[in-house]
Amino acid sequence: MKEVPMSTCEREFILSAIRDRKRIDGRQTYDYRRLKVAFGMERGCCIVELGDTKVLAQVSGKIEQPKKNRPTEGSIIINLELSPMASPAFEPGRPTESGIEMNRILERNIRDSRAVDTESLCIVAGEKVWCIRADIHVLNDEGNIMDAASIAAITALSHFRRPDVSVMGEEVTVHSPEDRDPVPLSVHHMPVCVTFAFFDQGEFLLVDPTRSEERVMNGRMVVGMNMHREICTLMMSGGMLLVKEQVLRCSQIATVKVAEIIELIQKALDKDAQARQAGEKCGFAESVPSNKITTNKKEPTSVDTTAAAQHASQVIQEAGPVDKPVSNMLVQAPGTVQIGEGLVNTWQVDDEDMESEEDSTKKTATNGREAVAVSKPTERKRPVKTVSHAEDSGSEEEEKVVLYQGDVEMKSTEEPDATTLKQPTSSNSDKPAKKKGKKKKAAQK
Amino acid sequence: MATEQTLRSFGCEQNLLSRPDGSANFTQGDTTVLAAVYGPGEVKMSEEIIDKATLRVIFKPKVGLPGCAEKFQERVLRNTCESVVLATLHPRSAINIILQIIQDSGSLLSCCVNAACVALMDAAVPMKCLVSAVTCALTEEGQIVLDPDSKQEKESSAVLTFAFDSRENNVITCSTKGCYTPEQYQESLSACREASKNISSFFRQAVEKRMSKELKVKT
Amino acid sequence: MADSVGKVVIPGDVLSEFRASEKTSKVALGPGLRQDGEEVLVTKSGILRHKEPNLYWIDCHQRRYIPAKGEDVIGIVTVKSGDVYRVDIGATQPATLSYLAFEGATKRNRPNVKVGDLVFAKLLVANKDMEPELVCIDSGGHSSGYGVIPANGGFMFHTSLNLVRKMLSPNCDILKFLGKNVPFETAVGVNGRIWVKAKTVKDTIVVANAIASSEHMTNAQIRTMIRQLLDKLSGF
Repeated sequence: MKEVPMSTCEREFILSAIRDRKRIDGRQTYDYRRLKVAFGMERGCCIVELGDTKVLAQVSGKIEQPKKNRPTEGSIIINLELSPMASPAFEPGRPTESGIEMNRILERNIRDSRAVDTESLCIVAGEKVWCIRADIHVLNDEGNIMDAASIAAITALSHFRRPDVSVMGEEVTVHSPEDRDPVPLSVHHMPVCVTFAFFDQGEFLLVDPTRSEERVMNGRMVVGMNMHREICTLMMSGGMLLVKEQVLRCSQIATVKVAEIIELIQKALDKDAQARQAGEKCGFAESVPSNKITTNKKEPTSVDTTAAAQHASQVIQEAGPVDKPVSNMLVQAPGTVQIGEGLVNTWQVDDEDMESEEDSTKKTATNGREAVAVSKPTERKRPVKTVSHAEDSGSEEEEKVVLYQGDVEMKSTEEPDATTLKQPTSSNSDKPAKKKGKKKKAAQK
Repeated sequence: MATEQTLRSFGCEQNLLSRPDGSANFTQGDTTVLAAVYGPGEVKMSEEIIDKATLRVIFKPKVGLPGCAEKFQERVLRNTCESVVLATLHPRSAINIILQIIQDSGSLLSCCVNAACVALMDAAVPMKCLVSAVTCALTEEGQIVLDPDSKQEKESSAVLTFAFDSRENNVITCSTKGCYTPEQYQESLSACREASKNISSFFRQAVEKRMSKELKVKT
Repeated sequence: MADSVGKVVIPGDVLSEFRASEKTSKVALGPGLRQDGEEVLVTKSGILRHKEPNLYWIDCHQRRYIPAKGEDVIGIVTVKSGDVYRVDIGATQPATLSYLAFEGATKRNRPNVKVGDLVFAKLLVANKDMEPELVCIDSGGHSSGYGVIPANGGFMFHTSLNLVRKMLSPNCDILKFLGKNVPFETAVGVNGRIWVKAKTVKDTIVVANAIASSEHMTNAQIRTMIRQLLDKLSGF
């Protein structure tokens, strides 16, 4: 679906409001929207809400082989998914250009700045390392996905616990969570992105733009910074020219904002750690507020299934007996062959000859079948009868070499099963002839 | 056979996302699924149907990229929703249903169906009736466990999910994994049918709560 | 049916007792209700409403607009192609607006409409099978409020359809309360789009936020909310 186009009226108004130092939602130029961090039941799962923009992050770990050129380091993969839920314009499947750009910024921010120590992810050098994967799904896009995603990523990485591993010589044991407490990742620092939106060729700037502000902006700058005032990422896009004072000003603003955000993240992590310690139930199901009119909750209910059970047994009784399943399900149709389980042999091979020929190298599948057919005559009863007559004319007319054999012999005798032993005898006389020719003869008879 | 089965606590939150036309967060015990609906809206020419709306379901797992299993789930959900949505009222349009797994602790498919139903209701997409789904697991001894969590599902010999319509409690969808006898199937079917009535009444309560303010204003 | 009026109904509910209680033989079924043989089936969840003598409909929460004939909508001009303008009204397909459907427009005298402009128009043709068609004149040929909305100073925002219906209903006081204290001009499109314009940018933002947040409020709550907003405003 396409995005709703932006009218000139809206565009003009937002720009004139910004020139007047005002924003549509009443914020100041450097104000962030309300930031909320909630954790799920699983370790490494969190949902971040920046205003109405909602992002879900999940971290998981797998043991894999390390890269050849870095045998003692684990790896971190960050995957940002612009879910079609977030906006009608996002399509599932291949990521768009903007999606790839944001993914790269996140990777540079976290992976290239060594926020998480990869050396500690090594288990056996050159053979086994942890591969940590962070999947970030954007659930609702109301502007500034970049910041929300970076907060979600680093929070989820700090929240995640990987299973404890012990190495004894050659043996590697991965302990389950019941055995030994899972171990946190070693996060050196928390880099968070701050997005600045520029208007009027860099003259006005806003922090944390909403969706409508993003559609009107000239260009933007993303500054990734950590608590120690170190810039981890710096990216500017939009084709406008910035004065260097602007860049410095932005990084100073970012320092302040990042400090606030990281403080909030720490508080949320501590609160969650306390709740888990105390054994309280945690997870999204718990954090759903029950006082809103749009939410509804119901306690565990019991369901009385006696009536259901009676009804079920009634249905079974009324349904009547079920056919016994046929123990031997073979599909016999022209052109099919089952190795080792063929039909009754109709090539009139002699009984005595059969035994002597069993070890002969000339034995083909047909002979094998014939041997089997003899040993299990009763089971061949029905299937053999029904199929043979129908397929008769077909194989004759086409003069094809059909591996499934001739029903001609069947036709001539009333009880093929009884005559199973007889038939081979009669056809034995024809055996010296070439196999193929023999088949044809049998078919043409 | 136990005569008193318990369904885990369930909860739902509607209209929690600002962009989609309808959204719902449905939880069954710890399993949480977020569903969003866009529509009826513009449809791609290649997917257009001249007398009906095109329903599309996108199922997003939490970890990794979607694969064959997800496509299969999408198909099951699409067939379920197509049987209740009145698509003929919106020809040449598209209705997109997107589901995101937030937490999987058993009974995932029924949670997805329930979430999709509430989201469709929230988006005011015209429907013939509501769908309520219940999962049950069969233990090795042949006992039925309604609304199993992930541990119970792992230890079971079969997991059956049924979706019922809210009007006459007929089966809309049946999706099963594992081996079971016809008798066990009938028992599970009847037990799930009983349980689905709870879920239908829960939907009604959720809507009543949401509309409670309007009820007070205009009497 | 009479006893279900004013109650919450969900899709799948069947209403079948209406014939007995009606004096007139015809019953008009509005949005959310559908005839299914002898019964009336509810297709959307909401509150069943009734208007004398025989009109029934469902009041539901909806965001996506479904065009219906005769409604006034605000559209955004997206394409100018030959004789028609393509206008986005938030429906499945863009609507068409002929250049002749303006007051005083002739083949020589084309109206001044650019891409990106807002237009306030009436739906002439709107059904599920055809592309919607708009006109900016009423049946007498006068513009009577329809036409291009000037782009200077005003602001347009999107809301749910409920809020718009609430605002247009006679017993909702939000526009009156706001208007008493902050003079403003407004155009309300039934497709969930509202355009407001006040004297200054600040006032416009205040009015827009006040309207957007009044969706779930009763009249009394709206009054208090506006008073608080105005107190804050005067403090600036």
